[in-house]
Parts: sequence; C-alpha cells; structure tokens
Amino acid sequence: KSCQTGKISTAETAVQSHTSRDAGVQTDQSKDAVQDFQQEVQVDYTSLLSFLQRVEDAVIKELNKNWKSRAFDGFEVNWTDQNETVLCLHTLSYPEAQDQNLQVTSVSWNATGSVVACSYGRLDGGDWSTEKSYVCTWNLDRRGLNPQRPDLVVDVPSSVMCLAFHPSQPSLIAGGLFGGELVVWDTSRTEDPVIWRTGMTDDTHTDPVYQVNWLPDTKHRNHARLLSVSTDGKILVWREERDGRLALAEGFAMVAQQIPRSTQLKKFAWGEAAVGVTSLSFSHFDPRVFVVGVEGGYSLKCSTAAETLALHRAGSSVPLRAPAELAFSPHGGPVYSVSCSPFHRQVLNLFLSCGTDGQVHLHSMLQTQPLVSLQLSEKYLFCVRWSPVRPLVFAAASGEGNCNKCFCFIGDVHLFDFGKSSQKPAVSIKQAAGECPVYCLEFNIKQTRLLAAGDATGTVKVWQLSSDFTEQGPREMNRLEQLASEITD
Amino acid sequence: GIPIRTTLDNSTTVQYAGLLHQLIMKARSTVRDIDPQNDLTFLRIRSKKHEIMVAPDKEYLLIVIQNPCE
Repeated sequence: KSCQTGKISTAETAVQSHTSRDAGVQTDQSKDAVQDFQQEVQVDYTSLLSFLQRVEDAVIKELNKNWKSRAFDGFEVNWTDQNETVLCLHTLSYPEAQDQNLQVTSVSWNATGSVVACSYGRLDGGDWSTEKSYVCTWNLDRRGLNPQRPDLVVDVPSSVMCLAFHPSQPSLIAGGLFGGELVVWDTSRTEDPVIWRTGMTDDTHTDPVYQVNWLPDTKHRNHARLLSVSTDGKILVWREERDGRLALAEGFAMVAQQIPRSTQLKKFAWGEAAVGVTSLSFSHFDPRVFVVGVEGGYSLKCSTAAETLALHRAGSSVPLRAPAELAFSPHGGPVYSVSCSPFHRQVLNLFLSCGTDGQVHLHSMLQTQPLVSLQLSEKYLFCVRWSPVRPLVFAAASGEGNCNKCFCFIGDVHLFDFGKSSQKPAVSIKQAAGECPVYCLEFNIKQTRLLAAGDATGTVKVWQLSSDFTEQGPREMNRLEQLASEITD
Repeated sequence: GIPIRTTLDNSTTVQYAGLLHQLIMKARSTVRDIDPQNDLTFLRIRSKKHEIMVAPDKEYLLIVIQNPCE
C-alpha cells in the first residue's frame, strides 16, 4: 500500500522590510522582588495540622539520628581540582610608565572580575609632583593578552593615587589625583574617556586623594555617589551633575579636637589641627558606619548619620560634619589601610588595620583595644584586605622600611589564615627579586582565586591562590566568632 | 512552593521553597521511573555546612535545615 499527501497549494510572493529603526537594549539592575508572602496565602489549617502530625515523628527521628551519626566524619568531596601552590598567573606592566620610574599606586578589579586596572604614580613623591601618569587596564579573559601592552591606557596630567571600579557598571572607573581632584573615566569610550571630574574648586581636596569609593545612592538606584578621602582631613561625597561635573553632596571633616578619646588611651595634645585621613572602609552590616585610618596612627569608627558640625571648616559649599564616634587604640605610626570584614553577623563587627609599624590589628568595633595584634613584618605595611570567601583569611602588602634585625618573613605579600596560625603568615609571597615594596593589593570578588598586587617597579602581578585559600571550611564562621569572643574577656 | 510558616528570613525561605520544590519533583519522578510502585518518602541532602531534610506530601513540604555535630 502506498499513500500520498493531497495536493498542497503554493503561491509565490516577495516581501521586503520598508522602514527600519535601531534600538538599543540593556538590562537594568532589577529591583528586589521579594514579596512578603505571609499575607497572601489561603491556608487550610486543619489539613496543615494533620500533615505536620503525620511527618513530625519521622523528621524528629532523622534529626536525632543526625546528632549521633558518625557516618560522615572525615568525608570530603573534591568538586574542583585542588591547587596546592600559589602561582603567578600574569605579570603585567606598562613599559613607558616603568621608564619614567613610576610606581603602581593602586589596583582595582572591575564588576565582572575580568578586567584589572592599575594606576601609576609616585607614593614617595614628596610635596609636589607634576609628572604625568597613566591608568592602564588589562582584560585577562581576552585571548590575545599581551602583558606589556595594556588594553587601554589613559594619560593623566598628574599622579593618580587611587582607583576604584564601579561595583556594577563594568566600564566606569574613578581615580583620585595627587592634586586633590577626582576623575571618572568610562573605558568603553574610545575618544575621550573622561566623563566626570571635580575640577579645582573651593570644595576640592587640598591634599592628595588617597582613597576613592563608590557608594550606592539610596534615592536613585542606578546612580552612585563617589566618596573621597584625603590627608587634608576631609571625607567628601560627590554626586554627578549633568555637565560632566562632580558636585559636592555632603562631607565630613576630621579635626583633632573633635576626635573622641576614651580614658584608656593616652592624652594627646593635638589642638585644632586637621587629621589626615589615609584610608576608609565601610561596614558591611550597617551602611552608615565606616572606619577610617589616620596619619596619627588611630583608627576611628565614624557614622554618616553624625550631626555635629566640624570646627573651622568654612569655605565649603556644603556644611561639613564631624563623623568620629570612637577612637581605637593606636598603631605606632600612620595607618595606611583599614578593611572591614565582609562576613558580618550581628555581633561580629571586625576590621583590620595596618600601618608603618609593621603591625596588623584585628579590632572589634565594640571595644578600643585590639582583639589580636600581629607583628607581621619589620617593614611598613601598605595595604590589608580581607578575603571575600574565607572569613579567617586576609592578605597584607609590605614594603620599605629599615630592617635592622633579620626577620624570618622575607615575603612581600603575606597571606594570613587565623584557622592555621595566630602568630605567623600561612604563606608569604615574594613579589619580585630583590627589595620591591608592594603598595596595593585587591582580591577578585568574581574569580575568587585571583589576587592582584602592584609594586614599586611598576608591575602588577596576578596571583592564583591555592585551594585552601579559596574554599571555606564548614565551621569557619563559628571559628571567627570564637576568635572574636575569646580574647574580649 | 509558597512558604506558609518559617523560622528563617523571607528571602532565604523563598529561595529554599522554590529550589527544593523543583528538586522534590525531580527526585520523586526518579524514584517512580525506576519502580512505578515505589514513591518518595523523605529527602536528605548533605552539604559541607549542613544537612537539608524534606518531608514531602501531596499538598505540603516540610523543610528542616540542621547543622550536624562534627
């Protein structure tokens, strides 16, 4: 038997599109869509009750069995290849900047974790510097990556002291200059990457900007504000204006007289001098609380909700307030870096501070004395950062200083693990042959194995950390809480 | 799954409810594909940090998260 389809009618026509229009599409950050569910559901409580009565025994039996079970003791599963050592993945540099003997002052990873940017400048520049410098970016995921040729080089007329990529827009990067200005570049623009700048106005800092941060703007979701910190004692928050200018939105000023001192700390006769701020870190559990490190060696707990006006701060378009609430026990030299732990719980308000005395202090925001005080090195410590994935790990960058005695830590990037030892670093990585101070380091939040470190020879090294630095153990948070509480007593 | 009662915060609860509902469906169909006379009675997932237990039913799911003693 055979079969055949019946006749199908066909016809020929031609079609052509008449008008066309281009439209661009981009997803915006979505609003949080968690609804409150408790009011919407119609529940039949009697059947719910009978369900719960049915399963109650079985579940309780399993829970009890688990408490006593030893079945899984020592059972570990390896989902990824275990890396035993720390490797240097990339050595990036910009030869023109190196020829001018410029140093890497700051590194930053972008929002997607694939681009690393570094700023060139001089940290030992003395009082004034008119050297031009560069901001360079490399995309590490690109196939034709040439470590000596950055994907983008921005010429900047003065030294760039600090950098920060925007937390969600991968092409925006902000930098603070030696002259006190702030500039925002858009790396996707080919002609002129500068999109906003503060310019030199009465509001601008009068000293180099040592740190710049992006702040989420609570009113406009897609706009962010910029925060800058400088040794002239001012902490300023800038917002974007339409003509490419950054205007002052609010500000704080640190004046010595307004620093709260507890009776446990020695009295200092600072008078009315401005207190030079070198670093800042926001708390992850309360967005209004931040910690600053100052040149006098103190770390201070501050709040954006402070109301008291700062003394002697005339000449600014927005009234400056005094934010300091608590002064912590000082280091023996200026504090260069502070970092708040991203692992927060209600009781854990931990932060780290490091400075020229070579020590790292682990503080809880609840008390002035440090919980742990580590003498990591005889040299200055320039930067300290918590690991974004392991609550007990942090990294510190060390550099120049007079080494009278020979200490056993020869390395320049120290990785510390409280889970392994409370006395000495787990790993010390030598950045380069010879004495080469490391000035800055940053963990990559998206690709958690990577750590970028910039040094005085103008090189950025991207280190791949071993698995034990990137995989959280099962009880690390408890261990951290234990550490926080056992020393407070 | 729509959460009815919880001891955790809202967003975590919604996440657990949605994800585990799908997993229960998959686990149940796996059991019944192998033997149609069989059916899922209990699901336990052990992870590095804790153990998740789900007691399923026609209309409801009971989800318990426990930190086992190590």
